[in-house]
Amino acid sequence: MPLWFVRGLRRGVVTTRYPARPDDSAAWLPRPPAFRSWQLTREAADRMVAVCPGPALSRRDDTLVFDVGACTACGRCAEAAPDAVAPSGEFELATTSRSALIKDIPIRGGGR
Amino acid sequence: MNPSQDEAEVARRLRDTIAGQFGRSLHIRTLDTGSCAVCEQEIRLLAAPHYDLHRLGFFFTPAPRHADLLLVTGPMIRAFDVAARKTYEAMPGPKVVVATGACALGGVYPKDPFVHGNVGALLPVDVWIPGCPPSPLALLYGLSVAVGRLAEKAPGLTFIADGDGGGA
Amino acid sequence: MTAVEPQAAGTSERLVRQLADLGGLEVADGGATRGAVTVLMLPETLEEATHAIAGTAGARLADMFADNGGDAPTLRLVWAVEEGYLLTETEIEGDQYPALSDIAPAAFVEECEIHEQFGIRPATGKPLNRLMLPPHTGADFPRLGHRPAQPPEEVHAPHTVGGQAFEFPFGPVRQVGVESLYYGLVTRGEEVVDVYMFTWHKHRGVEWRLRGTTPREGLFFAERAEGLSAVAVGWAFAAAAEAALGVAPPPAADRTRAVALELERLYNHAAAMAALCQATGLTVGQSAAEIALERLLRVNAAAFGHRNLFGVIQPGGASRAPDATVLRRDLAAAYGELRRAADALLATNSFVDRLEACGVLTAEQARRLGLVGPVARATGLAVDTRLNGRRPPSGSADGGPYAGYPVTAITADGGDVFARFQVMLGEAAESVRLIGEFLDAGTAAECSPLPGGGGNGLGWAESSRGEVLAWIALDEDGRITRARLRPGSVRNWRGFDDACRSQNVFTDIPIIEASFWLTAAGLAR
Repeated sequence: MPLWFVRGLRRGVVTTRYPARPDDSAAWLPRPPAFRSWQLTREAADRMVAVCPGPALSRRDDTLVFDVGACTACGRCAEAAPDAVAPSGEFELATTSRSALIKDIPIRGGGR
Repeated sequence: MNPSQDEAEVARRLRDTIAGQFGRSLHIRTLDTGSCAVCEQEIRLLAAPHYDLHRLGFFFTPAPRHADLLLVTGPMIRAFDVAARKTYEAMPGPKVVVATGACALGGVYPKDPFVHGNVGALLPVDVWIPGCPPSPLALLYGLSVAVGRLAEKAPGLTFIADGDGGGA
Repeated sequence: MTAVEPQAAGTSERLVRQLADLGGLEVADGGATRGAVTVLMLPETLEEATHAIAGTAGARLADMFADNGGDAPTLRLVWAVEEGYLLTETEIEGDQYPALSDIAPAAFVEECEIHEQFGIRPATGKPLNRLMLPPHTGADFPRLGHRPAQPPEEVHAPHTVGGQAFEFPFGPVRQVGVESLYYGLVTRGEEVVDVYMFTWHKHRGVEWRLRGTTPREGLFFAERAEGLSAVAVGWAFAAAAEAALGVAPPPAADRTRAVALELERLYNHAAAMAALCQATGLTVGQSAAEIALERLLRVNAAAFGHRNLFGVIQPGGASRAPDATVLRRDLAAAYGELRRAADALLATNSFVDRLEACGVLTAEQARRLGLVGPVARATGLAVDTRLNGRRPPSGSADGGPYAGYPVTAITADGGDVFARFQVMLGEAAESVRLIGEFLDAGTAAECSPLPGGGGNGLGWAESSRGEVLAWIALDEDGRITRARLRPGSVRNWRGFDDACRSQNVFTDIPIIEASFWLTAAGLAR
């Protein structure tokens, strides 16, 4: 029996069972943010929009428009407004409709 | 007799048939429209031991004629238009186009004289997979959605984190 | 494989004196490029000056680019000398600059690029190819300068093989899971007569896009110019901005950057090994290497929050730091996988036979073309920006992260695919050792604040593919007026056709490509 075969048997299976079972390695993946709408002020929203390197964040009146599809999970928004941002924990984001990735986050923290 | 209801029913049955066929054996052709090369590495790893897309009935093929699904990366550089369209048109129907990565979804480069900015500007995209890059797990999820094996979560996610929870 | 000792300092001073004799003027104030010695040259004596520098032992042309400071473009040549970099700047009136024949082979790609972007050309009269910009670009296509008066030509080397060679266009859509890349392969049937490449279909205009951005904003694009070298290009870019503004990262943050850079080197070398196995049809080896690659990417994710280490480098320092205990443990296991796969491959005759004497480059070719990285080191040239006395740029008192931990430059003889493979394996071992030492000395996620003001700066880093250079000009508001990014791929692709032509059949081309392990994105930007 070839040596590589024996070594392989000894190492065991490394193949994930995903999507049938969850995979632990997903815990270390970067995720897009989620927003705490009650901690989100207009001013914090504008700060985040300014630092976002792409079009993922924009503001329309009292709504923070979050395009998850455009998000690179760079973390600049979380750095700009740490109180208003939480990890979403989501990486299973694929969708058949582009607009389903555009989310309206109400700005409930008040502010100017 | 309601014509649009009949059409909708036929469309649904057709989509289900296609998904049923693709769900058992899907051949994937990749297309780089100007990526930074990282998305390509994650796609290559789909065939690697940790992910092994073959166990799901997914296969890569270099021949567009043999392909069912076009997996597209990059912001659709305009200088690449001809090559992109030729690859798409060389694939016989039924076919599915999956745009993958923030560049392909319009998140990195805006529309300008260099690039279209997103793959949907040139090709009819059926499934969008966000990420920079999308990890092999995210790609497996996206391919499963594309063949109807998994339901999409994104439409139901709010990304509002009030209370203790995360994105739901 | 040999370890090489770095050479003595003092070359810059001698050169500055020589250049001064030719009418050159060393600039040390606001117009200077911080991070390098800057000498203003006049067009009349530029050719002689280039000849003098090129003839100096240990001098290598690292880059050539232009800039539209005023009405007339400024031509800059960046030379790597023993202890650092020397920059010559020359304002070019009219549309021609002197024929710099000493550097013609090393600078051909840059001459074509400068012609397309700025409309100036060397006074040789020889045709320049259209390389970077797509065909049929009109006058209003975004350029960094002025459109050339005559559009560049589509010239390929004449094929004098008795009329029996044929040209075989291949790409840009190639096999699955690889970047788009167009080759023109000239062959008689088996033998490679010539290989020429185009990458204009991947030109995203990154340098054009960087204009008007702040260093923080620009870093997002710089990282994505060549994503597989995100740490290296990001570091060079951040260091150029830091040099321009006269600030240095805290030493612990510099070590964090170095840890990330070595992790990036490791995963790229593992990926190259997997590609070599794929090119030689060794599926078991490919799987073993891919297992090592996947484990290394997971180490990156656990340590720095991103599989490809995006977002770790920030101007002024680093934004994330690893947990040393976890990283040490995970890295030892992942590197063990890589080492076992490599050992098995080195004991596999059918694999080694395909690599030996394949894709040979001589040291003379590497020197003449100005190659960098493992490709150059495998011919015996000790070109490595981490060597003592040539450390990554930093203004900090202790001289940067590598200063205290001397790097052994790994070189080999033979310049073939096997030599490049051996260099990569030696570097992987070095990287693991260096990471351990940096973790021992302590890492941190800290950034020095960026002061206001402007200036020019040069930054560099040693990516897995070789030396990355970045040059930035910042205006008084701290915004970029010109950014130059030169990933290792830009220097090394020009060695690829020489390597393919050295008595190879064209089925060896994927093997040679894997041993170079460059990217089309890095060349095209």
